[in-house]
Formats: sequence, structure tokens, C-alpha cells
Amino acid sequence: MSEKTPYTTGIDSDAERSPRRIVFVTKKTSGKVLGERSRQLMSFPHLVLREAMVLQGLIIVIALLSLFWDAPLEQLANPLLTPNPAKAPWYFLGLQELLHYFPPVVAGIILPGLVVVALVVIPYFEVNVKSEPFWAGGAPKKLKILGAILVVLLVVLAIFEAWTVLVPTVIMGGAMLLCKFMVPGTAKMWDYLRSKPLSWWVMTWFIAVSVTLTVVGTYFRGPGWSWVWPWR
Amino acid sequence: MNDPMKSSDVPAKPGGPAGPALGRRDFLNEISAAALGITGLGSAVVSLNYISPNVLFEPPARFRVGVPDDYPVNSVSFLREQQIYIVRTAEGFTALSAICTHLGCITEWRPDDNLIACPCHGSKFNRDGVKVAGPAPRPLPHLSVQLAPDGQILVDKLATVPANQVLKV
Amino acid sequence: MSNSSAESLLERLRETKVWKSIFRRGPARTNRTRSVAVFGNLFLHFLPVKVREKSLRVRATYYLGSLTFFLFLILTVTGILLMFYYHPAVPQAYQDMKDLRFVVSNGLFLRNLHRIGAQAMVLFVFMHMFHVFYRGGYRAPRQFNWVIGVGLLLVTLFLSYTGYLLPWDQLAYWAITVGTNIISFMPWLGRITRFLLLGGRTVGENALLRFYVLHCVVLPLGAIFLVGIHFWRIQKDGGLELREENERKNSLHDGD
Repeated sequence: MSEKTPYTTGIDSDAERSPRRIVFVTKKTSGKVLGERSRQLMSFPHLVLREAMVLQGLIIVIALLSLFWDAPLEQLANPLLTPNPAKAPWYFLGLQELLHYFPPVVAGIILPGLVVVALVVIPYFEVNVKSEPFWAGGAPKKLKILGAILVVLLVVLAIFEAWTVLVPTVIMGGAMLLCKFMVPGTAKMWDYLRSKPLSWWVMTWFIAVSVTLTVVGTYFRGPGWSWVWPWR
Repeated sequence: MNDPMKSSDVPAKPGGPAGPALGRRDFLNEISAAALGITGLGSAVVSLNYISPNVLFEPPARFRVGVPDDYPVNSVSFLREQQIYIVRTAEGFTALSAICTHLGCITEWRPDDNLIACPCHGSKFNRDGVKVAGPAPRPLPHLSVQLAPDGQILVDKLATVPANQVLKV
Repeated sequence: MSNSSAESLLERLRETKVWKSIFRRGPARTNRTRSVAVFGNLFLHFLPVKVREKSLRVRATYYLGSLTFFLFLILTVTGILLMFYYHPAVPQAYQDMKDLRFVVSNGLFLRNLHRIGAQAMVLFVFMHMFHVFYRGGYRAPRQFNWVIGVGLLLVTLFLSYTGYLLPWDQLAYWAITVGTNIISFMPWLGRITRFLLLGGRTVGENALLRFYVLHCVVLPLGAIFLVGIHFWRIQKDGGLELREENERKNSLHDGD
């Protein structure tokens, strides 16, 4: 924007582009207009046919898998005989693993409830809209707070002997701290991690813990929910 | 400030002890809203009543388990069909629910360990139903045991009793 | 030769009054008829008439949302077909599962389709959610659509859970017993919720029938309702969120 003209305008009659908005921006105001100028295409055929191809591809893949992977059917349900171990479907096995460490009220109601509430409020906490990297500013204070939170969390987990949650927390917390101290340019991974905002770290930690819990619940738990090595 | 539902072009009526008088439109609006509210509430209650079953297709909760002489003194007997333990001590009889208080799996009596053990997450109870190991949050409930007129022991799974209550025989 | 005669046959068919009374817009060869193909169509009018080119790229969304929805369609079709041979009664349900496997033509294939589709749908709904999160597609003005998405996640999980009981085998019975016992730990409402859900105190005939109704009617209707809002919102919010992660622009001059 040049010094001479206090505003810019423009119109466009290209059918492949949307009409541009006419914006008057004076020196006193700041324009937060994000003009989208990329090319536009007709939904029919471009979008509709792509979606049709995705649907067909999906049907083919599912059909192929169904030819070879049979759904299980165990014996008739017997209310008098509990199988050992009695496992939930895979998407709840993480929860069942968590139930092993914490009382059922906590692991079954409170924690999942908190997770759902946290998911719902994510878009309403408009913190860090610009996605500033976590270590961008105020590092010493952040270091202290992060350190304190990690220590408290790890102590609580150790008291409950919740190793399956503790190990991924240590890894994620360690990565979060380490990327601060790594010299820029040593490895791409540390630079990539250092550019990530806090919301990314929290969600990635959540995914890491959930995946670990589910994998352990699926492959590493046997009769009586005892620890087994899957290759034995 | 200005309620769009209230007619604003009608001058306010002179008030009484309860405040400014309602116009006819506002009165009818409020009556209708109240009627709808009562209907809604009533429908919800009636639906809940409907969905709550009055007849259950389950095995009876009160049943006879034989005469006292069927059970040796100082024994724990697991009745699989009824999912209970009959415990006989020198004092008398107690009945424990065999359903683990953690997540509902059926426990097993281990005479070698003198313990009731749950296969699902490793909870263990002694013959008083008190938890000695594992994640179960509560002890096994004691069920009501009585002596029926015909001399048989009557158990009621729906009636829990304090742990120190014993049927003296 | 036969190709062109087939084409001209189609052309002549398209000129008939009957055809024109059903398909009113004519071949989609101009931008006008292509527009009508979308906004004049009951099944497609939730789509915008035009889309930005960038949003069509695979890497924009990996089509995860679309895949989840298509899986829902596949599950509906296979589910309806399975309903022709399934009685939600104890112990008939288990017998029907065996019939589907050994007696019904293509029964095993159909059941496999349904089960694999179900596992895949749960997986894809999680992947879609995480992808939308990492791309920032939940930010204003799309906040409410994200909340609808969380609702859809819960509906999907509950659909999978209610369906899990229907085979009435040991796996089904005990998985549901454990799950409903967890529900009973909810303060105040836990026991009554479990009682109403199971239609009794234990997992039995009433529970099977209630889970069947939830699985086949109530939850699919809920899903369709939420999916409708979800798609409509995408269009009304201006399509996909396409800003790259580290481009938080405050200027007029963003590049193409």
C-alpha cells in the first residue's frame, strides 16, 4: 500500500474468480480483511465427481478387506460365566486400562467427562489465535510453570502407579523442554517442535496418552488384567 | 429493556398491589407459555414412566437354597445359578453377592487362598466380603438371609443387610 | 457406429416430455446448468455452487470427513440388509448370527462389511477430528460446527457400542456388562440411567431389544439430524478453512 493513495479498490469480472470486495482502508484503521483470491471451480463436476471417486474407492477397499477378514463370533452369551479377560471394544480399551489404575468414578465418569467438556470448549478459548510458538516469549516464567505442572502430574501418576500414562507424559514433557534448549539448526525435528503452540502440545500429549493406553489394553493385558508380552 | 413479546404500543394499565397490570395480549402469551410448559413437563414424566419397565424377564430375586444341614460349618459355597456365596460360620449364615463391585464380573471362590477372586481386574475379597486387594471400590454386599417356615434358607438378592448381621442357626 | 446410435438414442430420450418433467435442467454443459445441478438438487444443495480450487486437493482434508460420512452410508445399507435376517431376541439373535455366517448367501461377507465399516468409521471420525484441530478449522466462525462434530463423535461411539451387543455372544455380553456398570458410577443419575438403558437390572432380553432400537432407529436419526446441520454449517461458514498454519495474515495482500 503506497503512501499516496490512502485506500485501494478493485473489481473483477472474471467468472472463475469471485468478485473482490471493495475495501476502503484509511491510515487510521487497520484492515483485517483476508481476501480469498484463489480460483473457484464449479462444484458440479469438480467436487461432486471427486467425492464420487472417494466413495467408490472406499467401497472397493472395504469390500476387499471384508473378503479376507472375518468378524469374530464367540460362544453364546452366558451370564453365569465371565471370560477371562473380559475386554471392551478396542475404542474403549484405553478407558479400561485407565480403570485399572484409578477408581471407577474417576476413570469412568470424571476423566471422560472432562475430556468431552474440554473438546467442546476448545474453539471458545480464543487464546493464542495467531498460533504463536509456545517458547516465543517469556521463557523463564514459562519454564517454571511448565516444570511445576509436570512435576505435580508425574507425582500424582506415580502415586497411582499409572505407568501407562506416565511414560508418554514423560516423553512429551521431555520433548517440550528439550526443544527449548536445542541449538537452532541442529536437527529439523527440534526446530519443528519449537515452532508449535501450546494447544498443539496439549492435543499431541492427549493423543500420545490415548494411543498408549489403547495399545497396552489391546496387546499387553491378559487374564486378570495382568501384564503379558504379546509375543509370548 | 423493551421486550419484543410485550406489546409496546399499548399504554400501561394502572397498577394494583402486585405491580403494573398486564395487557390482554401479554396475559394470553404467558398463559399459553405456562400451558405448553405443563404439557411438556407432563409428556416428559409420562414418557419416563413408559420407558421404565414394570415387568422384568429375569430370574427371581428371592429364592430358597436348601436346608441349613446342606452346608457344612465354616464353608463357603458358590451357587453359580444365583450368583451368590452361602457362607456358614460357627455363628450362622451370611450370603454374599458374587458380582464384583468393580465392573460386574462374576467372582470365583479360591479355597486354597481362602479368598474370593475376580478374574477381570484382580480384585480379591475375604469371606466377609471385605476387599483385600485390587481396584474394587466397595466390599461385596451382604444379602438378606432368613429361615422360611418350611425350614429352608431364603435369600433375597434385592435386600442388602449390614455385614455383621448373621442368620443364627 | 453403435456408440453414436446409442448416444443419439440418449439424446432423443432426453428430448422427450417425460424425461424433461423429471430432469428439468438439461445436460450440465454450461455454468448455469452446472449451478442448477447443485443448488436445484435435493441431495446436493448443501454443497456450495462453486468451490475454491485449493479445497479440492487431497492434502486439504484427505477427504476424512467425506470418508466418515460415506462409511455411515455403507453401514446404513449393510445394516438394513442384515436386519432382514436378525431377530433381537434371546437366544434367537445368536442363532441368526450363525445363520448369517453359514446359511445365508453372502451373509458372512455382509456381516464383515458391516463390522469393518463400523471399526473404520470410529477410526476415521477420530482422525477427522484431530485433523480439523491441527488445521485450526474450529476457529471462528466455525466454533459451533466443531461442537456439532463432538456431538457426532459421541453418537458414533454410542452407535458402535449399542451395535456391539447385538450378536449376543460372550464378547458382546461381557463388554456391555462392563460398560453399563461404569455408567452406574455416575453420581445420582448413574443407577437410574443404567436401569432405563438395560430395561432391568441385568443385561437380558430387555437390554437387547432396547439396544436394537437405539442402534437401528434412534441413533441413526440423531446422526442424520446432526450431519445435516454439520454440512449446512460448512457451506454457511464459507467452506473449508484453508489458511496455512503459520500464516496469520492481517493484510490485504495475501498471495494466491
